[in-house]
Parts: sequence; structure tokens; C-alpha cells
Amino acid sequence: MRRTLVILGLLVALGAVGALLFAWSGLYNVAASVPHWPPTRWLIEFGLENSVETHARGIEVPPLDDPALVHAGLGHYEGACQPCHGAPGQPPNPLVRRMLPEPPYLPGQELRWSPAQLFWIVRHGLKYTGMPAWVAEHRDDEIWAMVAALLRLPELDDAGYRRLLASGARMPAGESARLLAAVGPAGEALVACARCHGLTGAGGGAGAFPALAGQSREYLMASLKAYALGTRASGFMQPVAGALDDEQMGRLADHYAAMPTPPVRPAPNAATERGRAIAERGLPERGIPACVTCHGGNALARNRLFPRLDGQHAFYLAQQLRLFAVGTRGGTAFAELMQATTHGLDEAEIRAVAAYYAARGRPR
Amino acid sequence: MRRHTFTRFAEALPAAVLAACSGPQSPLDAGSDEAAGIAILSWVMFAAAGLILVAVLALAAAAARAPAEQPRWATREGWVVAAGLVFPIVMLSALLAWGLSITGGGGGASSPPAAFRIAVAGEQWWWRVTYLGPDGSALFSTANELRLPIGQRVEVDLTSADVIHSFWVPGLAGKLDMIPGHVNTLPLVAGRAGTWRGQCAEYCGGAHALMAFTVTALPAPDFERWMAAQAAPAAEPDNAEGRRGRALFLASGCGACHAVRGTPASGTIGPDLTHVGGRPTIGAGLLPTQRGTLAAWIVDPGHLKPEVRMPPFPVFRGEDLRALAAWLESLR
Repeated sequence: MRRTLVILGLLVALGAVGALLFAWSGLYNVAASVPHWPPTRWLIEFGLENSVETHARGIEVPPLDDPALVHAGLGHYEGACQPCHGAPGQPPNPLVRRMLPEPPYLPGQELRWSPAQLFWIVRHGLKYTGMPAWVAEHRDDEIWAMVAALLRLPELDDAGYRRLLASGARMPAGESARLLAAVGPAGEALVACARCHGLTGAGGGAGAFPALAGQSREYLMASLKAYALGTRASGFMQPVAGALDDEQMGRLADHYAAMPTPPVRPAPNAATERGRAIAERGLPERGIPACVTCHGGNALARNRLFPRLDGQHAFYLAQQLRLFAVGTRGGTAFAELMQATTHGLDEAEIRAVAAYYAARGRPR
Repeated sequence: MRRHTFTRFAEALPAAVLAACSGPQSPLDAGSDEAAGIAILSWVMFAAAGLILVAVLALAAAAARAPAEQPRWATREGWVVAAGLVFPIVMLSALLAWGLSITGGGGGASSPPAAFRIAVAGEQWWWRVTYLGPDGSALFSTANELRLPIGQRVEVDLTSADVIHSFWVPGLAGKLDMIPGHVNTLPLVAGRAGTWRGQCAEYCGGAHALMAFTVTALPAPDFERWMAAQAAPAAEPDNAEGRRGRALFLASGCGACHAVRGTPASGTIGPDLTHVGGRPTIGAGLLPTQRGTLAAWIVDPGHLKPEVRMPPFPVFRGEDLRALAAWLESLR
């Protein structure tokens, strides 16, 4: 018995040494030009499939029917995913086709994974494949927006995809060229901003993309920096903002700060009454102060780091309030104030306040 | 050496024990008739309890040393009836009647009418103090501080905004709970000039131990001057630093929670700061009011008072912070 164990041990050790020698020799070919040996390929895919299935168990899928989710997800897809996974109407990129494993071309394909599995893959990425993990790991709301977009992708043709991507009002080509030229060397960066926020900063995408027009330069700069540093966590914004230097940020902030905003108008009464009450008086008995103290324009001198909320999109406002309320929303030096302010707001109150401010800038 | 240490200890002990008998938060250093009554009651109870203890020990010792053959008097049933039933019933009933007469438990029909009322609400973890006019309307609001005219009877309406607190100024009166949705009334009469410390006496959450306040008794003319000053709006800053501090206060959202009468700041969530510079303490009895402590509090209140509801303002630094603290200190 003891003899058998010794022999077994020796065999294991010999195997390990052999494997090490094989790796050391360099005989294994790591070239992407040479496909995997079919049994290897089978084993890798078998392992991957089962790993995703096991780890995605227990993930609960939230409602994904808000159109803003698809807009938000597709806006990011076009910037970050499309280079590898393709877009409707565009043939697969020949460079990407030479990757091993080749990233699946997604447009028009039947989905291989369930929503929960897609969520897990987008959040964590896949080892050895080139699929990155989500930049802001705790922004589950962003990852679910990606899932909503991926669920929609198979049924989109070129025109449908472009229609969902387009944000803000269409403008004549000459006008957009003029705006791009005006920001000078930051023009290319502005294209990336404009993909979601529009060239004039009107935002949109059913409210997924905040309006930037008319915010102060200081607020826009501080927000871009917070995104770039990751102190305001966002898998959508950090890759874009992280690529900018201070000068580009300054030009972009100047550009959007100078864009015109629709005039503020009183919100229609009945529908937004609850939101108006919270905005103007707060809920002092629960320690929630009035929004207007900082975000209102008239009574107090405006702090340049406090954003303008009139006319901001409701989906965006509600999403930010939720992030503040759970304490994960960074931003300017004042972001911590909002965490204390919003703590204890419930979902109905968040929606009411968001609807009130959105209605104040929208033409009736 | 050992003897010397012991002597020093023996000399220091009475001083240490007696030191607890005076001071701003001692029930034995009475500043009012009620507190004096409570102090006498306490001393009588201590003395009587001591005598009873000595008597019981003496009887126990006598019983232990007695011969096996007990004398007749020692086994009489009358001992149990007299010392075990009659004595406690008489003694405790007398103490109860006396105690109730001191703490006003029997109703205050004979007491003079109150000069005025003060509403005090306990909130986690500070005291919202509102002086009321004859018609019950609020004259002004302050925090963590009461001032009283000497010799006048003042009624304090106690309630709570969140959990149960207890209002206790040991030098002036007994403690009384502050209950959400209910008003308890505590009469206060300060017998002499002085400042007493009060403390929340019912555990109310994380910073309970740091929830204190002061009560200051003033001669009537001084008190009237103080009332008039408190009712007035905040003074205009008379220098550039003060104006800068006020501008920062108004531009940084402070007014969402704090009111400073005479400015647009009208928040009601935190303490009214109209005359914060004139209060003895900040942070509910935590630190003396100075620009240094104010600045430290603004930057990181949770560091000084864990779990405090006010968020930190690390955004203020250098000149800005000094200006803000200087303006608040000037609000007397």
C-alpha cells in the first residue's frame, strides 16, 4: 500500500516537472493564427459555459422595459462594444476576426445567454478572451442597461440601430460642422460626448442622457474629473472622460456651458404637486431639506458647483437620486451633502421630484 | 513609603468624594428649592439606609454569637411583624409621600402661575429650544441652551422629534422623559444666579452621551436684554471677513438645514444659528463656542461627534473656512 502511494506521488511529481519543462521549452505555440486543437477547444468552451451558468444562478432580473435603458446601453455599445462585437449594417471588423477566441458578432444573432447570464458576463468579463470586466463594478444599473440593449440588438437593422442611437434634435450638417470646429482640438472628443448628449447638450435617449447645456463650466469640469478619476463611478463615462486631458475637458466644458437652454416654466400643477412640495419645502420632519436651497436660482447666490435641475431629464435625475440615497454617488466636492440629503427618500418621492424638475424646462 | 502612599490616599479620598457633591451637574449642589428638596431627601435616605444597614448587621452578629440555647426575647414572633412588616410599610409610605410632595407628583395647585413657557424638543442628538409668547406663538428658536430669570417660575414643555429622550438638569430639578407625540411639562425655578449643565438621561442612540445643554439663570434685567437680543435678527457683518463668511454660508447650502434670521437661510432641520456665537457650547454641550471649534465642527462634525446628522464640509479650507467660522462666531 505504502509502495503504491510512493509510486503515485512520484508519477504526479514527474508530470508536473514534465509540464514545466514543456512550458520552458517554448514548444507550445501561442499564436492566434493557429486554432486550438479541437479537444482543447471543446474543453475550454465546456468550462466557460458551465462557469457562466453556475455563477449567474441566483441573479434576479429587474424590469428592463424602460426605453431609456436601451438608449443608455446602445450608446455605450456604439462606443465601447461595437469595435469587437459589430454593429447592425457593418460587416465584422477583419482585425477582430483574427482574435482568438474571435469575439462573437452580435447583430442579428440569436442570443446564446439568458439575461442573468448576460449581466454576469458584462459585469465580470471573461478570462483569456479579451472581454473586460465592467469598469464601475457596483453600477448594476448601468450593467442592466447593457443587458436591455443586448436583448434588443438581435432584432435591430441598420436604420433601427441608428434611430435608437440618435440623441437630441437633428441639425443641418453645416451647423454640426461649425460646432465641432468651434471646440478646436477637442472636436474629436466632442463627437464622443455628442453620441449620447448631443452636440448642443440637450441630452435625451428617453432621459438616459442628461442635458449638459447651460450647466456651469465649473460643474462640468468637476464632473468630468470625477468620472476620469473614478470617484464618480460609471462604466459609461469613465472610459470616455479618462481619455481626456485637462485642456480638452476645459474646451468641452466651455462648449456645453455656452449652449442655450429652454426657458424655465412652471411645472404643470396636478401631476407634479408632490415633487414640487419636496423640492420647495423638503421633508423637514425626516431630515430631508428643500432642493431649492441649493438648486433653485433666485433666493440665494448660486454656487457654481451646484447643477441646474430645471428641465433635466427625469430618468437621469431619478437614477442619480437613487445612487445618492444608497451613498454610492460621487461627484464634486459637494456630493457628500446629497447623500445626507437624500437618505430616506423612497422610490415614489424620487420619481415625484425628478418629474417635477423635468417638467419645469420642457415646452408644454 | 507604603504608609506615606496610604496617607496621601486617605487625604485625597474625602476630597474626591466631596468634589462630586458640587459642580454644574450635581444633584447635591442645588440651585432651586426643588433640587434642594431632592438633595435633602437623598441625604435622609442615605443616612436612614446606613442606620438600617448597621442595625441589621448588629442583629445578625448578635444572632451568630448567641449561645445555642436562645433567650426567650430573641425568638419572639413580634420581631418579624415589627421589623419585617410594620417598619418597612411605615418607612416607605412616609418616603413616598415626602418624595411626591418634593417632585410635584401631587399636582401644583398651590404653585404660582408660570412667567412664560419654553418648548424643548429632544432630537438626535441636540435640543431644539423655542421661547414662547403669552399666546403660545414662537418668539425665537435657539439650541442646546436655556436662560431663565432668577426666582421666576418657568414651565418647560418637553417633547421629542424622534426617539425617547430625557431632560435632566440635576442642579435644578428631577428628570422628565421627552416622548414623541406627547408633551410633558416641567416647572423650573432657579433660586440663584449660575450655570447648570443638563444631560440626556435616556439612551437615545449613538451620540446619546454627547447630548448635553446648559441652563443659565440671570437677574431679571439681564434676562430681558438677552430675550430682546435673541428675538432680533442676526447682525450685519461689519468687516470683509464676516461678509465673505456669510456669502459662503448662503452659497454652500448651509441654509437648507440651518436658519439665520435676517438672511435667506431658513432651514429647520438643524439648529437655528441666528445667535450661535453667543451660546456657551456647540455640538450640544460638546465644545466651547470659538471660531476654532466652529471650523473643526464644519469640516468634519462626525469626527467630533460620531453619527451626527450634519454632513462634513471638507470643501471649506484656509481663508474660506476661517471666514465662515469667524462670521458664525460673530453672531452673538
